[in-house]
Amino acid sequence: MNWTRRHTLALGAVLIVATNAVALLGVAYNRSGTPGSELRLSQRELRPPFEWGLQKENSGLSLKLLWRVANRDAEKRGVANEYGWGAIPAWLDRAKLTELGFDLSRPDSTPAGRRYYAKLRSREAYLVLELAGPPYQAALDAARERAENRKADALAHPGDARLKAQADFSQSQLFHEEHEASRLFVVDAGLDAGALRAKYADRSRYAIVLGRVRPTLEGNGARVGGYVTAVINDSVNVPLGMRKAFEGVPPRSYGFGQRYAGPEIEATVAFGKRFEPWLAGVARKP
Amino acid sequence: MPVQSRTEAQQRTDEIHAFRRELQDLEGRGILVLTPEQRRALESHHGALLAEYAREFDVDRDAQAKQLSWGMRIASLAGALALGASVFFLFYQFWGRFSTALQVAILIAAALGSFAATAWIQGRDGSGYFTKLAAMVAFVCFVLNVALLGQIFDITPSDKALVPWAAFALLLAYACDARLLLGAGILCGIAFVGARTGTFSGAYWLDFGERPENFFPAAALLIAVPQLVRHDRFPAFPQTYRVFALLTLYLPMLVLANWGELSYLDFDPGLVKGGYQIAGFVASGLLAWLGVRRGWAGVANTSVTFFLIFLYTKFFDWWWDWMPKYLFFFVLGLTAVLFLMILRRLRAHGATAQGGAAR
Repeated sequence: MNWTRRHTLALGAVLIVATNAVALLGVAYNRSGTPGSELRLSQRELRPPFEWGLQKENSGLSLKLLWRVANRDAEKRGVANEYGWGAIPAWLDRAKLTELGFDLSRPDSTPAGRRYYAKLRSREAYLVLELAGPPYQAALDAARERAENRKADALAHPGDARLKAQADFSQSQLFHEEHEASRLFVVDAGLDAGALRAKYADRSRYAIVLGRVRPTLEGNGARVGGYVTAVINDSVNVPLGMRKAFEGVPPRSYGFGQRYAGPEIEATVAFGKRFEPWLAGVARKP
Repeated sequence: MPVQSRTEAQQRTDEIHAFRRELQDLEGRGILVLTPEQRRALESHHGALLAEYAREFDVDRDAQAKQLSWGMRIASLAGALALGASVFFLFYQFWGRFSTALQVAILIAAALGSFAATAWIQGRDGSGYFTKLAAMVAFVCFVLNVALLGQIFDITPSDKALVPWAAFALLLAYACDARLLLGAGILCGIAFVGARTGTFSGAYWLDFGERPENFFPAAALLIAVPQLVRHDRFPAFPQTYRVFALLTLYLPMLVLANWGELSYLDFDPGLVKGGYQIAGFVASGLLAWLGVRRGWAGVANTSVTFFLIFLYTKFFDWWWDWMPKYLFFFVLGLTAVLFLMILRRLRAHGATAQGGAAR
């Protein structure tokens, strides 16, 4: 058979149509039936992009899902340490990492062992996101306690400028934790989404998403811990019809910038059969 | 001898011109003189061929046209890249103003439309420059189509997207004789095979770049393609496959020869570094020899370049800190001279071997 331009045209068209069909069928499947979870999030958990670089050219709007991980060590707790890579959670211990498929049977105290653990890469796992649960409450309590302690220290030493600055900073951190910080925490991980759903049945409080975890050696090889290195789908596209609600919502830093002065938003983010999110609804609070 | 591509037509045109020059020289010396009938028949035959090639493939008829042709090639490449970027930013600038259904419709229509336009232009463009430009735009539209669908619907990123991209780029490359698109298709293929290799060890697919050895299977596959698939109509393509194969082999080797801790190998990083340094020298040396022997200019040149890079990085490690700089660069210069002498001997040996074979 002689290959002609018609054959090329037909094959290319089939390739384009088939690729789009597969992608769109996947979307339809993800959004079919009752959503796996539906979380009512606010501007605290959904951040618009910073306008720099090529972002200025982008007329679309995609919100970043801000998730946190509670630090195992109390002294490392605080908003700044808990976004993304910053924290090693108590629940992501040796047993959990082994359950997630990491071979941690090697000794971690020898140079060869340390080399082995340094070489381990992140693996995919299902993560459980909890909205405004005990980890958030613990973070809030810790911020309150810290602010009170620092305030007491500053009052006890009225002339000490350093203590005064620390007290002011702790107060701003408390404000951030109370009104601005994300209340969405990663609280568990597993390889069986069904088992996680059975354990965390409240679909309006817990969302199961795809993520990545990775072991790490702490304290020069003293013990094995784990990081949540990513929530794979951590952006939520805003369709044209819902864009108006996000007008005037500024991107913000993790508690070190100015106080949030934008509008209050309540957005329903649904997670489907393929654990992919979408914006199901949004409203501006008066 | 029927020709099917512009490259073949150009090759035949060049051969005819060379034959005419040689015939003129032979006639001038009185070694070969054609009869008027023979001359008329020959000129008529060649004239018809040249006219056909010019009409069908818009070949370069003389040296000046060839020089201009290079300029057109560069303009076509720059134009293709710029138009691709323009399409990307055009959509980026306005897509937020459309409803989701319209966004999807525009993306699919842009991919299909630009592809159809490429086929239409190809039917009217003997030179192929405009076709290649349109083909590049079609490829960008398709990449944008899939990538933005992912963004619109928050689809989980997957290495599977690389498969249709590679297939589409290769389809366009072979349909339009476009090496730039062949390169794009090969790069997508390298990324896919690398990602799959990475996931075999349980790692997340996007982390495949953290282990340079993930690229080696792709290098092996690429080097095998021109051996397994005939490219009679695309004489430049085998070299492109081989050069990409060597880059996919040498670049990870170079990284591992400097950062042994990135290897899968569970040995002391210093040992791994040393191993890859030796492997780099041996592989580039052997492949340079093979390239010279088989007449694969791309293989020989790429391998020689990497042999020097391996050598110079080692020199830098050993001597940069303690050697006076004039001496360091003098040693580099001497090495280059030594290398030139070896290559000259290899070339002379190759010419003798070919002469022997001809006899």
